[in-house]
Amino acid sequence: MESQGVVSPSPHIHATTHKRSNLARSQWLWGYLMIAPFFLGLLGFYIWPIIQTFYFSFTKWEAFNTYSWAGLDNYKRLVQDVSLLHALRNTVTYVVMFVPMSIILSIIVATLLNQKIRGLAIYRTLFFLPVVTMPAAVAMVWKWLYNGDYGLINYVLSLFAIKAQNWLTDPKWALFAIVVVAVWSSIGNNMIIFLSGLQGISSSYYEAASIDGAGPFRKFYVITLPLLTPTIFFVTVISLIGAFQVFDLIYMMIGSKSLMVENTQSVVYLFYKYAFENNDKGYASAVGIFLLVIIMLITAVQMKLQKKWVHYE
Amino acid sequence: MVTPFVWMLLTSVKSLGEASQVPPVIIPPTFHWDNYAKAIVSLPFMTFYFNTSFTTLAKVVGQLLFCSMASFAFARLRFPGRDAIFMISLSVLMIPGQVYIIPQYLIMKDFHWLNTLAALIVPGLFSVFGTFLLRQFFMTIPKELEEAATLDGCSYFGIYWRIMLPLSKSGLTALAIMTILWSWNDLLWPLIVNKSLTKMTLSAGLAYLQGEHFTNYPVLMAGSILAIWPMIVMFILFQRSFIEGIALTGTKG
Amino acid sequence: MKKMLISMLAITTVIAAAGCSSSPNETAPAQGQGNATSTETVELSFSSWGGSAYKETNDLLIQAFTAKHPNIKIKIEDTPNKQYWQKMEAAASGENLPDVFWMNGPRFASYAANGMLQPLDDLIKQDKVDLNNYPESLVKLYNYNGKQYAIPKDFDTIGVWYNKALFDAKGVPYPDGSWNWDQFVDTAKKLTDPAKGVWGVAAALDSQGGYYNTIYQSGGSVISDDKKKSGYDSPEGIAGIKFWTDLINVHKVSPTLAQMTDTEPLDMFQSGKVAMLWEGSWNATTFAKNDYLKDKVDVAPLPKNKQQSVVIHGLGYAMSAKSQHPKEAWELLKFLGSKEAMDIHAKTGVAIPAYNGTQDTWVKSFPNMKLQIFIDEVKYAKPYPVSKYTSKWSSLEPEILNKAWAGQVSAKEAAKQLAAKMNEALAAEK
Repeated sequence: MESQGVVSPSPHIHATTHKRSNLARSQWLWGYLMIAPFFLGLLGFYIWPIIQTFYFSFTKWEAFNTYSWAGLDNYKRLVQDVSLLHALRNTVTYVVMFVPMSIILSIIVATLLNQKIRGLAIYRTLFFLPVVTMPAAVAMVWKWLYNGDYGLINYVLSLFAIKAQNWLTDPKWALFAIVVVAVWSSIGNNMIIFLSGLQGISSSYYEAASIDGAGPFRKFYVITLPLLTPTIFFVTVISLIGAFQVFDLIYMMIGSKSLMVENTQSVVYLFYKYAFENNDKGYASAVGIFLLVIIMLITAVQMKLQKKWVHYE
Repeated sequence: MVTPFVWMLLTSVKSLGEASQVPPVIIPPTFHWDNYAKAIVSLPFMTFYFNTSFTTLAKVVGQLLFCSMASFAFARLRFPGRDAIFMISLSVLMIPGQVYIIPQYLIMKDFHWLNTLAALIVPGLFSVFGTFLLRQFFMTIPKELEEAATLDGCSYFGIYWRIMLPLSKSGLTALAIMTILWSWNDLLWPLIVNKSLTKMTLSAGLAYLQGEHFTNYPVLMAGSILAIWPMIVMFILFQRSFIEGIALTGTKG
Repeated sequence: MKKMLISMLAITTVIAAAGCSSSPNETAPAQGQGNATSTETVELSFSSWGGSAYKETNDLLIQAFTAKHPNIKIKIEDTPNKQYWQKMEAAASGENLPDVFWMNGPRFASYAANGMLQPLDDLIKQDKVDLNNYPESLVKLYNYNGKQYAIPKDFDTIGVWYNKALFDAKGVPYPDGSWNWDQFVDTAKKLTDPAKGVWGVAAALDSQGGYYNTIYQSGGSVISDDKKKSGYDSPEGIAGIKFWTDLINVHKVSPTLAQMTDTEPLDMFQSGKVAMLWEGSWNATTFAKNDYLKDKVDVAPLPKNKQQSVVIHGLGYAMSAKSQHPKEAWELLKFLGSKEAMDIHAKTGVAIPAYNGTQDTWVKSFPNMKLQIFIDEVKYAKPYPVSKYTSKWSSLEPEILNKAWAGQVSAKEAAKQLAAKMNEALAAEK
C-alpha cells in the first residue's frame, strides 16, 4: 500500500513516511492476528505432535502410558519385524492394484460421461453415491456381498456355474476383494476431477483432428490423454498418498481373528494395533516415522518423474 | 454400481434366517422392520446423529473462519516471516496422519478431553488444505478492488470481511462441502478418542454395531442405512455444490 | 473490528460449550471434599461393559442404591467391551478412573500392581463384609500380594448349548452330561448334514468357551501356578488344542475357520446352522430373547476327557485409588456386592451372581433351560488363566492358533509356537 502522494515538498515527507510505516505496522499486526488462530492451532495440534512422535519413536512404553528412553531399540526391532514386512508387502500390493485400476476406470467413466447424453446427471449421481457413503457402511455391505456361503456374489457366480470363492478368507482373493471395494468407492471422486480436466481441453484440438480424419480412439490417445496428464499426475499423487495409508476398509472388513490378518493388514492397521490395542506407543511411533519416510520417497520420485510424462501446456 | 445399495436395503428388512438362505431370498415376503428397532436399541442413534452433526457443523464453521482469515493474510498482507510460515504449514500437508495421531491423542488425554465432543472438534478446526485452497482463491481476486476499498478508508479486516469473502463464495462452499464429507465419514480419530457410547459418531458407532452383532447382517444393514441416509440426502439436494467443490480441488491442486 | 470480535467470541463459545457440556465423565465434580456430609449431592461414576443386555439390570441396581442413598447420584458409563480396556487404560494414566468399575481377571493384576485400585481390606473389616459369602476361588482372583482389591460380582462357566429341533430332526437323544469326548464327536457326526448346510458343532477359535476347557479336561493347564511357564506345549495342552482342530479337519463336523470368520458361530447357532455350541452361561438372556431359538435351546455340561473340568471366571467390582469420593464409592461397591444387588442380577438373568445362595433365582429365570448345570460345574471348575500382564500373551492366542484351525499347521506346531511366545512375554513381566 503506497501513499498517494509520491513526490511531495519536504514538509510532507516526514508525514508520508510516518504514514507508510504506520501502514506497514498495521499490516504486520493484522497479518499475525489473522493467521494466529490457524497457525497456533497448527503448531499445537499438528507440528508439536509431529516433533513428539519423532521423540517417542526413541522411547519404550510400559503399562498406563509411562515411558522411558530406549535409544534405537524400536528401529532395530522395526527392521526385524516380520509382521511389518508383511504389512508393507500387503500395502504395496494394495497400492499397485488400486491406483492404476482406480485411475483407468475413472478416466474411462469420465470420458464416457463427457458427452451430452440423456440422464447425465443421474449417472453422475449414481457413480458418486459411494463417495458420500461412510467407509464403515461400505465395508459392511461388501462384507455381506462377499460372504462365502450366503453372499450375493457367490450366488450370482453359481448361476453361471462358476465355483464360489471365499473372497475375504482366501489368501488368493482377500486383498483383491478389498481393492475392488476401494476402487468402487473412489471412482466417483476421481471421475469428477477428470471430468473437469477433460472440459479444460479446448475443443479446437478435436475439431482439427476431425479434419485430419482421426477416429475417436486416435483422438483419445493423441489429444485427450497427453493433455490430461497434469490431472492424471495430480490424481496419482493424491491416490498414492491415500492408498499407502489405507486403514478403514481393512479394519472393518477383516476381523481380528481372521486368518487373513497377516495377509491383508496394512502398515496403518498395524500401526493402529501397536499404538492403541497393544499400547506399544513408542514402537508405533517408529512405525509412523517409517511410513512417513516411505511416502516422502514415493512422492519425491513422482515429482522427479513427472517431467518425463506430464505434458504441461 | 448401485447393487450394493439396493442389496443393503433389501437385507435390512430380512430376518437372519432369510438372509442366510441359499439360494438367497431376494425380496422377503414380510418386511422385518424390527431389525431397525434392534439397531436403534443397541445404539443411541439419535445421540450419534447429534454428535456427528454438531461436531461437523463446528468444524465447518471453524475451518471457514480460521482458514479464510489465514488465507487472506497469506495472500494479501505483508509481514515478516509470512512465506516461511506458509511453507511450514504446507509441509504439514505432506505428513501422513499417523505421524501426529498418537501425540494428538495424548494431548486430548491430558486436557481431559477424551470422550468429549471437544476432542472430535478441536484438531479438526485447523486445515492446511483449506488454507491453501482459499489462498489460491484470494490470489485470483483483482487487487484493484482492494485498493479502491483502502481509498475508501476500509480496514484490513473490512477488506477481508466485505470484499474477499463474498467474492470467494464458490471456494468457501467447496471447502465447506469437503469438510462436511470428511468429518461425517471420519473413522480413525473418533474410534481412538471417544469410546463412550454417548459421545460416539456414526461411523465409530457402526464399527461398534459390528462388534455387538458380529454377523447379524440384517441388523448391520439396518444400522448402516440409518448412518448413511443423511449424507446421501444432503448430496442429492446439493449435488451441484458437491461436484463443483470436488472439481475445484482438482483444478486448483 | 466489532464483527471480528463477535466472530471470535462465537468460535470460543462453541469450543467452550463442546468442552464444558461434556464435562468430566470419569471423575466426580470436585465440589465435595473427601468426606461429604449426607446432605450434599455427590456424583459417582460407574463403568461397565454390559451393553444392551445389562440395561435393565443396571437401571434396577441404580434405583435400589439411590433409594438408600438419596444424596448420591450415579452416572453410568457403559462402554463396548472391545473398547473398555483402552478407555480404562487412558483414564488410569490420566488419574481419571471411574469411582467404581467392572474388573476382570486378566486385567486385574496390572491395575493392582500399578496402584490404580483402592485396597479394600480395611473397609471390609470396618463394615464387616463377609468374604465367605463368595466362592473362594473368585475372592482369590481379586487378591494381589495379600490385599483384596475387588469384590466378586458374578461367575460364569461354560456349557454345551444345543438346538433341540436339530437333535429331533436326526433322532438323536439330548445329551445328559455324562458324555466324554468320543461320545461328543459321535453326537456331532450324527447331527452334521452337509446337504442341509447344518453342522454338529461350531469349533470356534475361542479360549474361554473352547480350548481353555479342553486343556484342563486333558489334565493340563494354560499357565503354571507360579505364572512363569506356558502350558501350551505340554502333551495335555496340545491335546486340548487338537480336540478342536480335529473337529474341523478330521471329523468334519464343524464349519471351517473361513466360514466361521464370514459368519460368527453365535450367529450360526442362532440361525439353526449348527446344532451345538460351547459357550458361556452369560448367553442365557440372549438366547432366551432370540425369536428363532427361544423354544429350541437347552444346555448340557461339557463332555469329559481325562477328567471333568471347566474354566470359571467372574467379574469383580473395583474402586479407583484416586477417587474424589472414596466414602461414597465404597458405599456403592458395598451395595453392589450385597445380596440385594446379587438378587437383581439373578432375577434379570444376565449373569450368575457371585453371592452364595442367590444363584437359585438365576437358575429359575429361564425355566426351559437347564441352567443348573452351570452351577453344578463349579465343583470341578478351574481358574481362568491370568498373569500380571495377561493381554500380552493372550492376544497372541488367536493370531498363532488360527493356522492350526485352518489346517495349515498341526495343533502341536501351533501350540509349541504359542508356548514359546507366551514364555517370552512371561519372562518380561517383572
